[in-house]
Amino acid sequence: MFKFAPYLLKTLWRHRTRTLLTVSGSAVALFVFCFVLTVQQGLEQLTKQDDSVLVVFQANKFCPATSHLPQDYDRIIGEMQGVRDVVPIQVFTNNCRASLDVVVFYGTLADKIRQVRDFTLVGGSWSAFEGHQDAAIVGQTLASRRGIQVGDKFSVGDVTVAVAGIFTSENRAEEDYVYCHLDFLQRTRGLDLVGTVTQQEVWLDESADPEQVAAAIDAKLKSGQIETDTRTKGAFQASSLADLIHLIDLSHYLGWACLFLMAVLLGTTTIMTVEDRIGEHAVLQTLGFSTLRVFRLVMSETVLLSVIGGCVGIAMAALVLSQAGISVGAEAVTIAFEPSWNMVVTAAVTSVVIGLIAGIAPAAHAARADIVTALRFSG
Amino acid sequence: MSLIHVDRVSKQFRKGSETITPLSEAELQIDRGEFVSLMGASGTGKSTLLNLIAGIDKPTGGRIVVDGTDITQLSRTKLAAWRARNIGYIFQTHNLIPVLTAYENIELPLLLLPMNRSERQRRVEIAMTAVDLVDRANHYPRQLSGGQEQRVGIARAIVTDPTVVVADEPTGDLDTETSSQILDLLQRLNTELGTTLLMVTHDSDAAAIAGRQLRLDHGQLVEQGERVSVAVHPEAS
Ligand SMILES: Nc1ncnc2c1ncn2[C@@H]1O[C@H](COP(=O)(O)OP(=O)(O)OP(=O)(O)O)[C@@H](O)[C@H]1O
Ligand SMILES: [Mg+2]
Repeated sequence: MFKFAPYLLKTLWRHRTRTLLTVSGSAVALFVFCFVLTVQQGLEQLTKQDDSVLVVFQANKFCPATSHLPQDYDRIIGEMQGVRDVVPIQVFTNNCRASLDVVVFYGTLADKIRQVRDFTLVGGSWSAFEGHQDAAIVGQTLASRRGIQVGDKFSVGDVTVAVAGIFTSENRAEEDYVYCHLDFLQRTRGLDLVGTVTQQEVWLDESADPEQVAAAIDAKLKSGQIETDTRTKGAFQASSLADLIHLIDLSHYLGWACLFLMAVLLGTTTIMTVEDRIGEHAVLQTLGFSTLRVFRLVMSETVLLSVIGGCVGIAMAALVLSQAGISVGAEAVTIAFEPSWNMVVTAAVTSVVIGLIAGIAPAAHAARADIVTALRFSG
Repeated sequence: MSLIHVDRVSKQFRKGSETITPLSEAELQIDRGEFVSLMGASGTGKSTLLNLIAGIDKPTGGRIVVDGTDITQLSRTKLAAWRARNIGYIFQTHNLIPVLTAYENIELPLLLLPMNRSERQRRVEIAMTAVDLVDRANHYPRQLSGGQEQRVGIARAIVTDPTVVVADEPTGDLDTETSSQILDLLQRLNTELGTTLLMVTHDSDAAAIAGRQLRLDHGQLVEQGERVSVAVHPEAS
């Protein structure tokens, strides 16, 4: 087939305006498709993870600003069966609603962070963080989005922290958060939050059944000061993001629509070139090109257009997603949009499939044309 | 046995209720190395006959046997492979592929045969020398004159060394001067390389250069004048 590559490429080059337009259209379609894919994957990562981690929240509260649990619940929960560790967390966010620029502060015990998070400092030091009350470590995505550097003071609302480090994490969503000292966050806003936290994060033994332990925690604290609602971290994050999840589910259709448009565009372009070259294809068949060979030539043309467009779209999406550090969040939970190899491979395969689908009808049209009749169109 | 045997071949076209029968039980035999011209009034079915022999059309009835193969029995795919090996087709409007250079146009039919690059190059060079176009190898069709384009078309038809070369009004689009050059070329192909040629033409002077002249009349082939024997070079075919 490569013997015919010059013919294929020269044909595309001859109609370069048409080729360029089709490639651009396909690129845009696949760019959007990649975005949708990334959003879906980001959401999936967030809601499917951490089955062995529970989040204890105040019952019937949804916004972190309104959930208040006694801090010493950590001791009660910590003594329960199946529980390995409990981390009290005070959450402060600039925006409870869905937003593209959520800043979330997690105030917790400094020594626990390194136990329960996989953070790697890319700037600053742990000792600088641990040694200062108002120190904080900032996720890299947020840092680059807001232009934050080690040594800066960083304020949101009444909270002002000194940046002692910038961290990266396997879990990209974490890179959107600021971690600071629990008692610092409890005191800062002039509210009397000392002794209360927003939530307790519960780490389970490997053998423990998350559902069972969650039910046991809620049952045990039912008679306590504040009633609780305990869920796995994935389920908790899914419910925090419930409104966004609906939107993201809808974006499925956007992805499909883009692929459909791309197929239509490719199909239209190819059918046009086939109509233009009906005589040329008849000449090729007269020379001895078989029906199948003409079919494959037209198919290759469509797939080539589709793949070139696809590669441009994927490259653009990967660049934008990795550079812009876009994330969307609600109720102090954010979804990170991060390009992945999974996205690249899925989108590349998709572009081939779309090219194949779009090429079938035009290729069959070209291959099945009656040679003698078609020759009348040539010359 | 003759190289081409058109055996009681009929061809009908249906246009609504009307039936056109350009060929009705036509009979024709062509020997290896012959140069046959075919004349006839417009619409009598000359191109139809040529296309049947070239295997790009199927008859309504009868058989066409070329070099021992009954091509009317071949499937579309087999017929394509057969054309690649056995037929050189010279069009009236040359029908070169506009995006390919003269060289690439001539090479195109060779790509269908099992052949390496150097063998292809050798054959293309021979064909280009035969039509005297070596210096135009890298020109695109739009950069060539009508006569040069037709010469590329001829080179493309002979490059595979086919069993038969058919030409449908090869000089129909050319001026007198260029026409006679092309006709000279065809005649040389026949006498020097022993190529079997079947040429449709409207021009009786052109027809006269062929060793044997036929006329298509009412669906039947009629010999014109004496059948002249031409030199055959079996070793060259
Ligand atoms: N596909 C077709 N459908 C219907 N009729 C056809 C078709 N092809 C050819 N014909 C008819 O068959 C007859 C013979 O056509 P053909 O093209 O073979 O004539 P010709 O002798 O080559 O004419 P010309 O000298 O003008 O090229 C004509 O009457 C033509 O109208
Ligand atoms: Mg004709």
